[in-house]
Formats: sequence, C-alpha cells, structure tokens
Amino acid sequence: MTLLTVGLSVLIFSFFLLINTNIIKAGAKLGDDIRLILFLEKEPDPAMTALYRKKITDFTDVKEIRFISRDMAYKKLADQLGNDSDVLADMGSDFLPPSIEVYPNIDLKGLSEIKLFSEYLEKLSGVVKVQYGQEWIERFHYFTELLRVIIILSGGLLVLTTIFMVSYTIKLSVVARQAELKILRLIGATNSYISTPFLVEGFLQGLIGAAIGLTSLYFLFDWIKKNFNNPGLFNFFEFSYIPTSTTLLILAVSVILCTGGSIAAMRKYLRI
Amino acid sequence: MVELVKVSKIYPPDVVALENVSILIEKGEMVFLTGKSGAGKTTLLKLICGLEQPDQGLIEVAGKDLSRIRPKDMPYIRQKTGMAYQDFKLLPDQTVAQNIAMPMQVVFRSIRSIKNRVSELLEKLKLDGKHDTLACNLSRGEQQRVALARAVANLPPLILADEPTGNLDGATTRLVMELLEECNDAGSTIILATHDKSIYSNTAHRAVQIRDGYFVPTENN
Ligand SMILES: Nc1ncnc2c1ncn2[C@@H]1O[C@H](COP(=O)(O)OP(=O)(O)OP(=O)(O)O)[C@@H](O)[C@H]1O
Ligand SMILES: [Mg+2]
Repeated sequence: MTLLTVGLSVLIFSFFLLINTNIIKAGAKLGDDIRLILFLEKEPDPAMTALYRKKITDFTDVKEIRFISRDMAYKKLADQLGNDSDVLADMGSDFLPPSIEVYPNIDLKGLSEIKLFSEYLEKLSGVVKVQYGQEWIERFHYFTELLRVIIILSGGLLVLTTIFMVSYTIKLSVVARQAELKILRLIGATNSYISTPFLVEGFLQGLIGAAIGLTSLYFLFDWIKKNFNNPGLFNFFEFSYIPTSTTLLILAVSVILCTGGSIAAMRKYLRI
Repeated sequence: MVELVKVSKIYPPDVVALENVSILIEKGEMVFLTGKSGAGKTTLLKLICGLEQPDQGLIEVAGKDLSRIRPKDMPYIRQKTGMAYQDFKLLPDQTVAQNIAMPMQVVFRSIRSIKNRVSELLEKLKLDGKHDTLACNLSRGEQQRVALARAVANLPPLILADEPTGNLDGATTRLVMELLEECNDAGSTIILATHDKSIYSNTAHRAVQIRDGYFVPTENN
C-alpha cells in the first residue's frame, strides 16, 4: 500500500518532469528559429542602419541582425517562387518593403520578453510593423508556465504523500509491536537496535517505491514513443527520457523523504 | 554490587511498598529475599533494575547511582542486569528459542553462540522439546523457566530472579537452583525473591526478610 502510494506519486511527478524535459527540448529547437521581422517605411540610409542596430542591441542581446533591402526581398521572393517567378515580372522590383530580420539570442525562458521586445521595436521610428510567431510563442509560454506549476504541485504531493504514508506505516508497526518493544527495552535494547528495523523499512519503502514509479514511467514512455511518434505529429524531434541524473535524484529524494518520514514517526511514537 | 540507602517507594495514591530500606549486596553474593506476599520484594527488584524509580533514597548498581543515569545509557545498565519477572514478560507469539535469544541478539552475539547457549539452557531446564513451541502454549511452570533462561542467557553480572520456583515441583526447583548456583559460581551476583523456605534453609547464602516495607533479621537455617 505504502509502496504503491510512493510509487504512484513518483510516477506522477516524474511523468510531468518527462513532459517538461521534452517540451524544453522542443522549445530549444523552436527557439533557434525565432526571429522578428521589422517592416520599414523606407530604405534606411547607413546612419539609420547604424541607429537601428544600436537601438536593437541596446534592448537585448541578439545573434544576428540582417538588413533586407527592397531588392533583396524581391530576389528572395523570386528565389522562393522558382519557375513561377514570371508572375513577378510586371510588378517591378520595389513593391516589397525593406525589412530588418532580428534573431534574438534568448531561450524559451525569455519568451515573455519577446513580446516586450516586439512592442519596443514597433515604437522605433520608421518601423511599420513587427512580425513574429506571436500566437504559438505565447501559447507555448503559457503551456510551459502551466507545466511548471503542475510540476511544483505534483512535487509537493510527492513530498506529502511519501512522508505521510511512510510515517503512518511506521506508526502502525510501532503500535503492533508495542509489547515487543517494551520487552526489548527491558532487556537492554539500545535505541539504535530498536529503530534500525524501522529505518530500514522506511529506506526500502523509498527505494522500492521510487523504483516502481520510475520503472512504470519508463514503460509508459516506451509505449507513448511507440504509439505516438508517427511522422507528422511529433517527428520534428525525438522523445527523450528524463536524464539519468534526474532519475537518480528522484530516487535519492524519495529515499531521503521516506527515511525522514520514518525518523519523524519514531521520534513521535517511540520517543527516541 | 548493589547498594540501597534509605529507599522508599510509595505507589500512588498512598501504598507504601518500601520504607527506608537499606541493604548492601557484595559482588558475587547470592541473596535470598524473603517476606510474605505484598511485602515489597518485587518492588525492590524493580527498583534495582530501574523499572521503577524510588521516591526517596539512593540506589547504586555497580557503583552507579541509578537516578543519575541518562536515558541514553540505561540500555547498557539493563544489558548487565538479567531479570526473571514474576509475571514472566515473555513474548507470547514467539517461540521459546526466540524469547531466550532476545537479550543475546540485543548485544549482537553471533548466531552460532546464541544457538548453542539456547540449547544448553533448554537442556539444563528440561525444556529440550520446547525449542519451537510458542511461549503462549507453555504451562506456567515452563514459562517461568523460559523467563529465567532469558534472564541468565548472557550470564550478566547481576541476576534478579523474582519467585523463579513459584510454579515448580521439587525436582524442577532443584534444576533451577542448580542453574542459578552455576551462574553464581561463574561470577554473577544473584538476588532471588522467594516464599519457598526449602530453597534457602539449607544454603550458606544470606537470606533477608522484608516485612511491611523494611528489613528484619532473618533466621538462616
Ligand atoms: N503498580 C502498583 N501500583 C500500586 N500498588 C502496587 C503496585 N505494585 C505493587 N503495589 C503494592 O505494593 C506492595 C508491594 O508489592 P510487591 O509486588 O512488591 O510485593 P511482593 O513482595 O512482590 O509480593 P508477592 O510475594 O505476592 O509477589 C503491595 O501492597 C502491592 O499491592
Ligand atoms: Mg512479587
């Protein structure tokens, strides 16, 4: 029962952690593609170019700033159209506005900054419009925030259930062995002699419970990978399992919590 | 080995079990504690093993004032004192062997030496066939011998035996006394509470009598 509870809370916690790991990984991949496009009123002269560059770098660190003139924009479009480029023939080469492409040097944590950044850029003189993947970036941002809250909550759940369940189990076995413990004391059993079995019990509950949770997670992960990793949906990145170090950390924390729970229970019920 | 100075014990509300009792028991002595029922023999033994605290007076065991021993060190004092309780205090759902082995496990004796000692004691007390019997299925006389076996298992420096022959026939009483004499010869100090005049009337050991909570001289022989 205790094992199951510990196992289940470890499973829940590490499941969300697994999702988080993969989201962050996906986000990092997507984050590489984040760019803001500033459409300009007119072709900037060198002085303006320098000014823009300064204004942008004043606000944040950027990987790259690329100025795209009308001509370049036209060429790019023509390239993209390939054989169909004749449709552009009658239009002249200057119907596309000049623009600046900014590749910000921010990871996903800075997603909320992108919005601020774009608002800032929009206010620069000569900028008509700023474009970036507003929609998905914001959704992604909320999603990661939500996930963070869920992880904290399920982590709290893990802490509470393990400590509560383990100390409850220890309490039950202390009560069940009351007579024996009393006699053990009479014949000179030391506190450590009496408490060691309970400590071991708590330790094993933590270890085995976490192992059950993590093993089930692994099988769940395997199953999800087999069934949902079809091309089209998630194929732009590989699912990955939570890192080994995190796995070990979860195991260690669970063991510490359970041992701590049994120590707390013994303090209370054995008066050790 | 054991010294009591003006010890009084009053059970609440006002049962005076012992009043101003003093006695000195030397190391290696074997002392019979006699007195009629309710005189305070069990109370005295419980005070000596630290199961009860005196209301007044000083109790020293092996040179240590019991009232000054920290709770943390109490187990080590108890390891050196084997007490066979009048009400046995066995674990009913464990076997005879497990019950006798307990004090030896507590001091981490090897499994082999525990096994040997258990068989030896069972043999001496004519309990050979009861090795794996649950304590709750024993007769009172058998339980009494198991309680004594547990008390002497480690051959502790101090053995307290509360009515160790109360439920036994003459032949079995002699077995018990032989075992205790043996422990005494091996160096244990023994305090034995009893009603049974036959076990102390023919020995060279000291017998003291408690009457109404204090000692009176006992006629030996
Ligand atoms: N826990 C207790 N609470 C109240 N009174 C007690 C308690 N234990 C013993 N007494 C009283 O203290 C007195 C001495 O009891 P004790 O058990 O020491 O006598 P005893 O000499 O061992 O008697 P017996 O020979 O019947 O075993 C008795 O009057 C008894 O009723
Ligand atoms: Mg008594």
